[in-house]
Amino acid sequence: MGGSRRANLRLLLFCAPALIVYFVFKLIPAVSGIGYAMTDWNGLSQDYSFVLFDNFIAVFSDTYFWRSVWFTLKYVAVMVVVANVIALLLAVAIESRRRAKGVYRTIFYMPNMISMVIGGYMWMFIFTQVLYYMADNWGLTFLDHSWIGDPHYSFIAIIIVASWSTVGYLMIIYMAALQGVPADLLEAAQLAGANSRQCFFRVTLPMILPAVTICIFWTLNSGFQVFDVIYALTGGGPGRATQSVAMNIYEEAFRGNIRYGYATAKSTILFVIVMVITLIQLKVMKSREAEL
Amino acid sequence: MKRKRRISGAIVHTLLIIAALFWLAPLLLALMNSFKTNGELLTNVMSLPTELNFENYERTLDKMNYFRSLGNTVLLSGVSVTLIILFSSVAGWKLCRTKTRLSKFIFGLFVFSMLIPFSSIMIPLYRVVLALKLKNSLLGLALVYAGLGVSMAVFLYHGFVKGIPAELEEAAQMDGCSQLQVFRYMVFPLLKPITATVCITNVLWVWNDFLLPLIVISDSRKYTLLLSTNTLFGQYSSDWTAILSALIIAALPVIVFYALFQKQILKGISEGALKG
Repeated sequence: MGGSRRANLRLLLFCAPALIVYFVFKLIPAVSGIGYAMTDWNGLSQDYSFVLFDNFIAVFSDTYFWRSVWFTLKYVAVMVVVANVIALLLAVAIESRRRAKGVYRTIFYMPNMISMVIGGYMWMFIFTQVLYYMADNWGLTFLDHSWIGDPHYSFIAIIIVASWSTVGYLMIIYMAALQGVPADLLEAAQLAGANSRQCFFRVTLPMILPAVTICIFWTLNSGFQVFDVIYALTGGGPGRATQSVAMNIYEEAFRGNIRYGYATAKSTILFVIVMVITLIQLKVMKSREAEL
Repeated sequence: MKRKRRISGAIVHTLLIIAALFWLAPLLLALMNSFKTNGELLTNVMSLPTELNFENYERTLDKMNYFRSLGNTVLLSGVSVTLIILFSSVAGWKLCRTKTRLSKFIFGLFVFSMLIPFSSIMIPLYRVVLALKLKNSLLGLALVYAGLGVSMAVFLYHGFVKGIPAELEEAAQMDGCSQLQVFRYMVFPLLKPITATVCITNVLWVWNDFLLPLIVISDSRKYTLLLSTNTLFGQYSSDWTAILSALIIAALPVIVFYALFQKQILKGISEGALKG
């Protein structure tokens, strides 16, 4: 017993630096956030009172918040499909080539290195200047839309920029998985008379399923927290038409009328959503592993 | 059959080239137009610049205080990542080597908190920053990044240490080395591959993070590259040549970093993702 106490003491000593910063900047905010969510605190005044679940009840009738939730859900659903399909197509196409694999990989991954804020502003130039030029001078009139001002088109614009930025990341994971598919397995399938589509859906796809799971949940997780790309492109506008949950919280807490308690109640709801998704992910991956 | 395959190969190749051009378009268009005058840009955004004039760059270097913002970003990322590596390597190692209920609990705590999304803690975190008087302090912000980053890094180090046999460390301890010495001279060098992964993923994260500096830093002398680019965009929203040149120089450091360490970055990314 004395030995294990000494071991624990040593453990604490070695973990102390990590534990201290972790407690101060992550755990305490996470726990105190739930506490703040039950107050009517405005972030400035010293006195505030506990209102228990009033904030949560108010959130339920907050149309702007639920609109931002709906927008985020739409964004996440489209991104999960679009980004993953493009990434997988690119990965398969690049892996099927004998030469220039490295060049393509470099090009498609590059946007992921650049911040979405910078990438977003570069695309802003395309949406507000280049596309009009192409519509006027090259006769491509289908490009002649208010890409930033019209909520319908700005949603498409946001998806384009977000895909441009994240597809490379997903593609790298898919490529790593594709390289793990044994070549003799594919050869055997080909000898057995399978065409390339059958080979892909019957052999390759089942083999890379773990990577598909990782990528889908990564897109889900980062999608629910989307902020940068929308901030750069539309700022959540026009009005609040393209506001995501993270933006809605940011605005509530740091712009205009500061309602900290209320904003933390929203944060808590976001936390619960993301946590449920992650727990489902862990469960799915565990059962997959058990199958293999 | 063979001919069919060759044709489909050609189609795939053509599509790949088109996709690659699409992917490069924003960078190329920004670069191309950053050398023009505003008049030239407005008449034709698709033409090559008539001459390479760096006047826009001179303007924006000055306007966005480029070198100061760059220095701030380097300092911020450097200190944050150093802290993350120092704190989490020793913690991950010790957590893996100690087999008690407490070690399991602490490890579980780190892993659990990886689920907490940043946007759900940003408001109370801002309170902590204010209370500790860290607002507008780059070193303070580095501490915050350390706090947010250690859990993932501890998890990665913990996993890596599992694969290293403990016998050597025990033998060295018998010979009278202190635990810190064992770690410093024996274990840490062995952790190099995972340290590289932790370093790369965290440098990229801190370098490209926007929301946290946006909240914590309001003093323009402490601006990171992204913050000063953002401010410039707000101030000169119709002066496209200024904005585009600013975007190019803001993206330049990461592109150089990418060119230098591409292999390690791509390896680190896929490893970090598949393990994390």
